[in-house]
Amino acid sequence: MADDGAARQLDKEILSPKPGIQSPAEGGGDFQPRIVGFLCNWCSYAGADLAGVTRLKMPPSMVAIRVMCSSRVDPLFVLKAFLAGADGVLVAGCHPGDCHYQTGNYYTRRRFALTLKVLEELGLEANRVRLSWVSASEGGRFAEVVTEFTETIRKAGPNPAKTEVFL
Amino acid sequence: MTGATIQAKNGVNGAVSAVLKSLKDSGCVDAVLVPTRVKSGETFVYLLIRNPKMLDSCAPLPPVMPVQGARALQSLTRHGKVEQTVLCVMRPCEVRASIELAKRRQVDLENVLFMSLDCPGALRTRDYVNDPEALDKRYQGILNNWEGDGLRPTCETCVHFSCEDVPVDLHVGLVGTKEEEAVIIGVSKRGEELLDKAGIECSEDVSAWQVEVEKARDKKAGNRSKVVSELKDKAAGMDNLGLLFADCINCHNCMRVCPICYCRQCFFDSSDQVRLRAEDYFAKAQARGGIRFPGDMMQFHLGRIYHMGLSCVGCGACEDGCPMDVPVSQVFAFAGDEVQKTFDYVPGRSTDEPIPTLTYEEDELHEYEDA
Repeated sequence: MADDGAARQLDKEILSPKPGIQSPAEGGGDFQPRIVGFLCNWCSYAGADLAGVTRLKMPPSMVAIRVMCSSRVDPLFVLKAFLAGADGVLVAGCHPGDCHYQTGNYYTRRRFALTLKVLEELGLEANRVRLSWVSASEGGRFAEVVTEFTETIRKAGPNPAKTEVFL
Repeated sequence: MTGATIQAKNGVNGAVSAVLKSLKDSGCVDAVLVPTRVKSGETFVYLLIRNPKMLDSCAPLPPVMPVQGARALQSLTRHGKVEQTVLCVMRPCEVRASIELAKRRQVDLENVLFMSLDCPGALRTRDYVNDPEALDKRYQGILNNWEGDGLRPTCETCVHFSCEDVPVDLHVGLVGTKEEEAVIIGVSKRGEELLDKAGIECSEDVSAWQVEVEKARDKKAGNRSKVVSELKDKAAGMDNLGLLFADCINCHNCMRVCPICYCRQCFFDSSDQVRLRAEDYFAKAQARGGIRFPGDMMQFHLGRIYHMGLSCVGCGACEDGCPMDVPVSQVFAFAGDEVQKTFDYVPGRSTDEPIPTLTYEEDELHEYEDA
């Protein structure tokens, strides 16, 4: 079974807006994308940490959910974030070949392909999900990924699921 | 491929039950798992038959599929392999679902043999229960002409109705055979041996039947691409999906009758995953203006596509079991088709093909990652 922590945390993160970031539904001004990032413990989370301690500049748009391996991310997690109104969902893990558990991220890639394909087929906005490889030493790359993805999402506008009542 | 003609003067069911009897009598099969009409006459269940006399009343190709055969086999082999040889008589989609379950270690195929039949499709169970006699007649017509009204929409577009890409041991060919005749074919080596031991000599050429199967498949494939593209347009986007699933009452019956959905505890039943505290619901309603109860309807259906889409054999049990006529199976068909194509995977084709998400290649799918 999915561990309770990750799923509950997801609900909390999406439901309680960060101070300073208002959802457009509440009459907030400029659109500030909210991105849920599933970061693997060994590479991407450490990469995010490095970006933080090096004080690299990036938009404050991503909430991080740490998972022990990117392959822990069931497509359902991505879906749940998406339906809960996340404007973007990022899955990030170690570069292929560098997985802490040897092969986890190869499975991640397969799962992610499945995730994306289903969204595409159902005419949902597949450009709102992204898979990136970020190693523990790539603080700069992490900042880049977040900046770039935030811009993509800003162009795409708010996730329409955010205001959908009959989900 | 060679086979033997069997006489079907008393219908397909009579002919096949005679074959089953001779297989049972030859001693190479200890029991037969086969659909049989219930006493009320209104529906069918699977019976595990040891007494050859009871084979007289079995219905190898019932007009409906109220129980998915893979579920029956799953119950039988829940605690591991069976010690006696069981011959399972199932529709091709039921065999394929059994294979998918075997890959998930929910079915043990040791000592299990499969016999399938060319399947013209199934009628809706709810229609059948209301008037079994009339629908029996209608189904006979469908069997004779290989088309007719009232088939479930999923069956109209099924291309796996014969034994190609279905790992069966024995197969009964019905498409395009003369009336009151059918052909039986030993598809696998074990199947050939069985027929040999039962004294059924398979020396006839069956290419005429194969040609007819090909023709019928082309027709169904045409149906499929037409229906899929229509539905795809109708279903695309959050708004349209919402309309498609709008009638759902969250009974989760589609999940319970699905042969592949096997988890003993389901994500969607575990309270901490899907049920929030009241204050969280209020917060959600605040953000959106309001929220639906019971909730998570979309997450349930799309989540099921994620979990089952790769392995969906298109048996249509979900749609047949839906009390609100939500076209679950049809949505699965078009979403599932594409993901299966992505991984070049045909569910139920062979036990040697691993489920795509449980294996990987080091160098692949680069279009889904960003450097």
